[in-house]
Amino acid sequence: MTETTLEALKTTLMWASLSTVLVMIPGVMLAYVLARYDFAGKKAISTLFSLPLVLPPTAVGYLLLQLFATDGLFGSETLGFDLDVILTWKGVVIACSVMATPLVVRTARVSFEGVDPRYEDMARTLGHGRFITFINYTLPLAARGLLTAMILGFTRAVGEFGATIVLAGNIPGRTQTLSAAIYSAQQAGREDEANFLLGVALAVGFAAIFITEYLSQKQAAAGLTRR
Amino acid sequence: MSTTPHLSVRVRLPLDRFDLDVDIETTHRVTGIFGVSGSGKTTLLETVAGLRRGAKGTIRFGEEAWLDSSRRHWLPPERRGIGYVPQDSLLFPHLDVLENLRSGRGRALRGGHDFDRTLESVVRVLDIGALLGREVNTLSGGERQRVSLGRALCSGPSLLLLDEPLASLDVGMRRKVLPFLYRVQAEFALPMLVVSHNPVEVQALCEDLIVLREGHIIARGEPRTVLTRPEVFPLAEHEGFENILPGHLVETRSDASMVRIGHGADGPVVVVSRSHLAAGSRLLLGIPADEIMLALERPNGLSARNVVPAHVEEVQSIGDLRLITVRVPGGAPPLVVEVTADALAELHCEPGTDLFIIIKASAVTLYEDRSGEEG
Repeated sequence: MTETTLEALKTTLMWASLSTVLVMIPGVMLAYVLARYDFAGKKAISTLFSLPLVLPPTAVGYLLLQLFATDGLFGSETLGFDLDVILTWKGVVIACSVMATPLVVRTARVSFEGVDPRYEDMARTLGHGRFITFINYTLPLAARGLLTAMILGFTRAVGEFGATIVLAGNIPGRTQTLSAAIYSAQQAGREDEANFLLGVALAVGFAAIFITEYLSQKQAAAGLTRR
Repeated sequence: MSTTPHLSVRVRLPLDRFDLDVDIETTHRVTGIFGVSGSGKTTLLETVAGLRRGAKGTIRFGEEAWLDSSRRHWLPPERRGIGYVPQDSLLFPHLDVLENLRSGRGRALRGGHDFDRTLESVVRVLDIGALLGREVNTLSGGERQRVSLGRALCSGPSLLLLDEPLASLDVGMRRKVLPFLYRVQAEFALPMLVVSHNPVEVQALCEDLIVLREGHIIARGEPRTVLTRPEVFPLAEHEGFENILPGHLVETRSDASMVRIGHGADGPVVVVSRSHLAAGSRLLLGIPADEIMLALERPNGLSARNVVPAHVEEVQSIGDLRLITVRVPGGAPPLVVEVTADALAELHCEPGTDLFIIIKASAVTLYEDRSGEEG
């Protein structure tokens, strides 16, 4: 077991957590808007934010590479300063965030659609403005679905490989993630290490899906009694 | 007694099959909006609450303008100071009963209300003390409606909007919940707008009744008078027209109770099925219009327990039916008796005739206020 492998494990969990936080706040807000309002271009926006789900991850990585290249839209020549994304940990977080976005937005949207908007009307007749209504009534009523969205986003970020490796590379000790470390260990014939990392990946994945299964069952039960 | 703020609703709103087009001015404390389902009642209530956009016109309450479409003014629901009680309660499922009751606390405090005192009297009047710690999905339909009503009252509203408060309940539950509504009407000096397709409910609660058909007002006035008009009665009769009279319990014997009709001491006493209330308790009597018989002379050898002298005030024809409005002594509101045209022809009764009305004890429904009951 090399030190860089353990380092990869630790930093992966950190980067995935950071990506989840970055995606959750705007993702949940976008999901709410998509669930509650009708406006021109809604379908286009919804489709755009689902694209990473269907594109090859390496294509997404390559697109990000273009955007953050020196002469890209977010490059140093355009912005006037260097974001320092390519081949750094920031690149990992951005790649993971982009790849996790569709799962977060789609899952959160479904959970908001499951909240009867009349509860929000009710809260407003009791003197609460839109914001307080959203925080104190909509969010708690959608809480289980939102937690599921967060877990799915997190696991997607943990498992990210294709987009990350194109944008941030696979530099041991610097930008190497869990999935990249498995790839490297397998390629180099370090079987013990690959097996250990596989075990970790299995444990994280199993726990995540198990929790979402549990939550969706509870949500279904709550939905039944509510009707 | 303080005067009720003026409510004025002049709105036009296109709906699927017709336009809602009403012009209502009221200073009555409890105004009812009556009509069959699909007549636009709930839409009207939601427009007043600010939950439905798109109406043209004006809505004013007291000094405030809630809607003035010509000035592009629309006050959001949270700033209208309303207590809204929807048909299906809409209790927040993530909160328990007490938390639901407290969900309008912020508004009540901002309005200068003593929240704890209001909560205490709401819990007492609606008899929901035993429910406070319960999860809302464990409540019965009647309990949910009482908590929903309590939540609205606790939020310190200046206008209460009730949407079919009894419609989601079965007949037995209605008998239990109606007295609570009646108590709220009596104990909280709040103006109320009540939407209903139930004649019993509107007679028990409302001072002024507006009848809506396909979005338009077709009749308006004192509830009993309005409900017996030829164009309205068929709508009311669909549910079975029931006379609702106030009364108080005189005494209870082993097999029956005696109730005096009206608030005064000189109303007629009728025998009804046994009540659990204490002597002196106020209650509402429901007497179906088609369960009352008429006799020109006091009958002998009759199984019916109640024979009360009455004076005919009005005779109306609605198709084959004749509605006879009679007044009993003692200042109680008049009763409506439904008979067939043939029966009326044999009786020869007309306004001014003195006769007797005959009511079986078992035909009388008691809407009892059970909250003071022991045990």
